Amino acid sequence: MLDYLRLEVRRTLRDAGFVIGGIAMPVLMYLLFTNLGADDGSWKTGAMVGMAGYGAVGCALNTGGGVAEDRAIGWLRQLRVTPMTPRQVVVGRTLTGSVTVLPAILAVLAAGGLVNGVRLAAWQWAAVAGLLWLGSLPFTLLGLGNGYRLTGQTTGVTNMACNLGLAVLGGLWFPVTLFPHWLRALSAYTPTYRFAQLGTSAAEGRAPALGAITVLTLWLLAFGSYAVLSYRRSGRTA
Amino acid sequence: MTKTTGTTAGALPAVSFTGAVKTFGGVRALQGVDLRIQPGETVALLGRNGAGKSTTISLLLGLNEPDEGTVRLFGAPPEQAVRAGRVGAMLQEGRAVPRVTVRELVSFVARRYPDPMPVARALRLAGITELAERRVDRLSGGQTQRVRFAVALAGNPSVIVLDEPTAALDVEARHAFWASMRSYARLGRTVLFSTHHLEEADAHADRILVIDRGRIVADGTGEQLKRSVGGSLVAIDLAGRGTEGLERLPGVRSVEVRGERARLRTDDPDATVVALAELGAIRGLEVAPASLDDAFLALTARVTEAA
Repeated sequence: MLDYLRLEVRRTLRDAGFVIGGIAMPVLMYLLFTNLGADDGSWKTGAMVGMAGYGAVGCALNTGGGVAEDRAIGWLRQLRVTPMTPRQVVVGRTLTGSVTVLPAILAVLAAGGLVNGVRLAAWQWAAVAGLLWLGSLPFTLLGLGNGYRLTGQTTGVTNMACNLGLAVLGGLWFPVTLFPHWLRALSAYTPTYRFAQLGTSAAEGRAPALGAITVLTLWLLAFGSYAVLSYRRSGRTA
Repeated sequence: MTKTTGTTAGALPAVSFTGAVKTFGGVRALQGVDLRIQPGETVALLGRNGAGKSTTISLLLGLNEPDEGTVRLFGAPPEQAVRAGRVGAMLQEGRAVPRVTVRELVSFVARRYPDPMPVARALRLAGITELAERRVDRLSGGQTQRVRFAVALAGNPSVIVLDEPTAALDVEARHAFWASMRSYARLGRTVLFSTHHLEEADAHADRILVIDRGRIVADGTGEQLKRSVGGSLVAIDLAGRGTEGLERLPGVRSVEVRGERARLRTDDPDATVVALAELGAIRGLEVAPASLDDAFLALTARVTEAA
């Protein structure tokens, strides 16, 4: 299983599209959004968490794109005729998603600390990174659900739509305080808003809000079920 | 596993199908397949496209389950044999795995098996030692195919299954591939490959199973298949005359017209030629023993008539 994880992580990191779109883009967008125009500096921390979250969501969803690709080229079928069990493959893939979100999170946090002068206590840095890392699991499952259900191309488009839609709605790009009232109310139910909230609370030195944990857990269950259903369906047709 | 000396009478066949039926959306892809393959045999599964080759292979590998009948590998359900690492396969629709090197891919697969062969040996058998550090997605079609062959044999399985391994390969790549396959078969492993190339089946298998419309219609060596169809081909130029009456000549079983030539399949070529001479129909006479091509056509045509 560790072997499989290593193989898939290596394959993901060799994907130029992943490195540019999943890691470099969020860093660039973060630096751009926080250094254009007048800013009192407070948004530098909020945007850092938001963009780290945005990068993590993109990378997590990308795991599903990998699955769709592997289905299309027959690699998943090939694994089925080795002694690996289907469970090992799925768990290995989920872990791959969990590992490949880390570079994006760490890169944006590094840009915050080194370029934008964000100052946090050591434990806060660790907590922000750790919470964003754990909180990305629902998005990995959403990506897997898409990847096992849809074709390669559709998965790419769907993941992109999920990524942009959820990022904007959840206030990862712009703070939700800029949203009209009704949109803010909607935003509170998105997994991305609650995901960013986990990181923001740590950056502000507070414990994660109960609401954030509850809403995110519900999304975890929903996306988890979606992934399981998609996986079962693909097993019948693959 | 310890090897017992001498083969016991009840030795388990490597592969056995008993009355296997498989239906896909109303189409009966397999209509009762029975077959046995003994350990150490190299067997070709020969059939046209859509005859049921891939369905047979997917049942054999446990990728699908038969609707009726049973499929066993070494006496156990296929899935169990696959989990135990006794099976290696090269699937038809497989393409190059992106962003891994040949060595990474082959050694990853090898480590999934309980008793793999050394990676260097798998690469050598597949003839891709010099490609070890290359990325799989940057190889030619023939090279990719041999990588996939290395993947199939890396785990040192007891039986290896190759679904149309040379489809889309040029002549040179095809020869290189079969040379690799033979060196593996010489190790005493069981090999089953599917193909629609008669010459390949004849040249590289100990035994040929002909499948047509979901049934095994013939089983034997290339020689046996040719003999079972029987007789010879007698060909003449029609030179404007029709084919009427030709099918009633002594010995003639069937008449086929290709361009200006009539090809008569006959059980008694001497009598047929004498009768043709009496008709004054001998122009550009040619008499030849049936080829495997003819045997295949005859075997699969017979089923058409019966259906």
